Amino acid sequence: MKIALFIPCLVNQLMPQVAIATLELLEKLGHQVILPKGQTCCGQPMTNSGCFNEARSTVLKLLNAFKGVECDAIVCPAASCLVAAKENFHEFDDSPEAQAVINKLYELTEFLHDVAPVEQFTRPFPHKVSMQMSCHGLRMLTLAKASELMSPGYNKLEALLNKVPNIEVVYPEPHDECCGFGGTFAMDEGAVSAKMGKDKASAHANTGAQYVVGYDPSCLMHLDGMIRRLQLPIETRHLAQILNEAI
Amino acid sequence: MATTTTANHAEKAEIFCRDEARVDWHSKALWLLRQKRDRAASSLPEWEELRELGSEYKLHTLSHLGEYLEQFEANCIKQGIQVHWAKDGAEHNRIVHEILAKHQVKKLVKSKSMLTEECHLNPYLEQHGIEVIDTDLGERIIQLNKQPPSHIVVPAIHLKKEEVGELFHEKIGTEKGASDPTYLTRAARQHLREHFLSADAAMTGVNMAIADQGAIVVCTNEGNADMGGNLPSLTLHSMGIDKMVPNMEAASVLLRTLARNAIGQPITTYSSFYHGPKPGGEMHVIIVDNGRTKALKDKLLAESLKCIRCGGCINTCPVYRRSGGYSYNYFIPGPIGIAVGAQEDNTNTTAWACTLCGSCTYVCPTKVPLDKIIAYQRRLKAEQGTLPYGKDRYMPIVGKVMGSATLFNCAMSVARFSLRNLPNAMLKPFSGAWGKYRELPKAPKTSFEAWYNKNRSE
Ligand code: SF4
Repeated sequence: MKIALFIPCLVNQLMPQVAIATLELLEKLGHQVILPKGQTCCGQPMTNSGCFNEARSTVLKLLNAFKGVECDAIVCPAASCLVAAKENFHEFDDSPEAQAVINKLYELTEFLHDVAPVEQFTRPFPHKVSMQMSCHGLRMLTLAKASELMSPGYNKLEALLNKVPNIEVVYPEPHDECCGFGGTFAMDEGAVSAKMGKDKASAHANTGAQYVVGYDPSCLMHLDGMIRRLQLPIETRHLAQILNEAI
Repeated sequence: MATTTTANHAEKAEIFCRDEARVDWHSKALWLLRQKRDRAASSLPEWEELRELGSEYKLHTLSHLGEYLEQFEANCIKQGIQVHWAKDGAEHNRIVHEILAKHQVKKLVKSKSMLTEECHLNPYLEQHGIEVIDTDLGERIIQLNKQPPSHIVVPAIHLKKEEVGELFHEKIGTEKGASDPTYLTRAARQHLREHFLSADAAMTGVNMAIADQGAIVVCTNEGNADMGGNLPSLTLHSMGIDKMVPNMEAASVLLRTLARNAIGQPITTYSSFYHGPKPGGEMHVIIVDNGRTKALKDKLLAESLKCIRCGGCINTCPVYRRSGGYSYNYFIPGPIGIAVGAQEDNTNTTAWACTLCGSCTYVCPTKVPLDKIIAYQRRLKAEQGTLPYGKDRYMPIVGKVMGSATLFNCAMSVARFSLRNLPNAMLKPFSGAWGKYRELPKAPKTSFEAWYNKNRSE
């Protein structure tokens, strides 16, 4: 498949290793990968704050980067940004060209699970990993059954990781509570955000896992800052990094 | 009604967070309710169907509200119930007072009603010389403690049993130092019984009003509404127009989810249906609008009126559990409090007391899209020009910088450079709440785009 990467600003600027892992992983899986120029933020910090006017030019700039780009899918290694991009593109542009872009947008887990399923990863990853079930991927992209719902269970992330030899997947308790990042919430509501992050980071460490693994770089960055502050014996890894090592 | 307060949500929450042991205890107590709810819900294979049905019944009723209210009124009158209409809290209070004054009521026993909180009925009646006794155990505790509720289902959840013991010792003469819940509950029952027997009138809230029956449903676990409803011959029942349901079927669907979602119980111990006054008595129903028809006009805000006040969204909310019920600047806390009360908060911060995690929306038995409504409340605030936390100043700048590749790349390489090269001690004061509580991100040398251009471009 021909894949256009959607690399949100935070990943591009502060976590390039996640983007590199995504690119390498997709290439190793036999896809042709391109990076359309002129990408920026999905507009989430503004729209989540209610500031739609202030978001417009940013969102349209990102949308324009993908309009007319020839590809089968647009893949993003950040669930929350992907959800925001989808919603914001729709909000600011209802043209068929915009809809064509929206139709091709996939979060990485979603892509590897639903669109171009991977059979098996070959290299073992003999470690215990604690899953960070971040909210937007969980409840808006429905990457797994959320704990509030009583419908049949499934978990796309775990299904993917279980194809990696020797990996052990565990969950913190409570297993899918928000980590407290919440974009500008981390700044506006410092005390509550920090307490949520502390509880979450400790819950991950309490599983005895070596890594916290997730699909949302912003939550991972928040947890990483908390883990280092508390000096917990655990590290954060993006799903793409684990899978890229295992292939 | 707007609360006159100056401290914003983040400030109040920060104070609550200073006592970490208490936060942990509060969070755990409420999470226990969420876990009980999960067990109760999972025992019904049709749980998700019930949620869907509950949502459909409520939406249907709300979109035909006028008809159902008229039908309800007509059926009530047929059964000898007197129906009153109040456009707002003040009118509600006046009507209640008139009825009580006519019967020369000196003491009123009241069973939990968030609507009477909304209308500030207690202080109003007390000003008019009528003693009001809240009869739910939790409500009575906070009434004795001179506090408003901190939760809509477990109003005294913020108090530990030792604190209740201390309060009861002082106010109703229990033994000093006693904190055994059974002992304290017995003592409270005894104390309330005296009030029940001496009250001249009783008042309750309404969980559901059934249009084709002209009946109201009142749910309690302590039976106190029934004690009140059956002892004096004058009873009053206040309801918001959103409490309407068409028939028994709709009521039964909601009854099956209400207590399960609230505290994990199959059904409330006392789910009583009142069809009319007892012989020689009087039964009054006061139907209150107080802003609800205004909310109905907005398609998204209207969905907040599907709420059956189970409190499930509050129990699951990770922000509520760590900031406490008194931080919201509205008498209803948590997600549903923000959804219906954000515009009443004059600090304009309550709409932001949420990470938009969506747990509340998924927990809700009538599928109120709480996270969407909360995000929308922020948009309404932005449109009114009442943004908190300096957003009105910095958001336009963020928008401009992010909308321009040159500006953004430039700003970010400065940020990366600073993160890599300046000592943490110098950066921390500049990074606000982030650096106060967490380590700053480890910055890479270059952006991904720069790496890509170097490694992948032909
Ligand atoms: S919004 Fe839903 S979950 Fe929250 S109190 Fe109302 S009915 Fe219960």
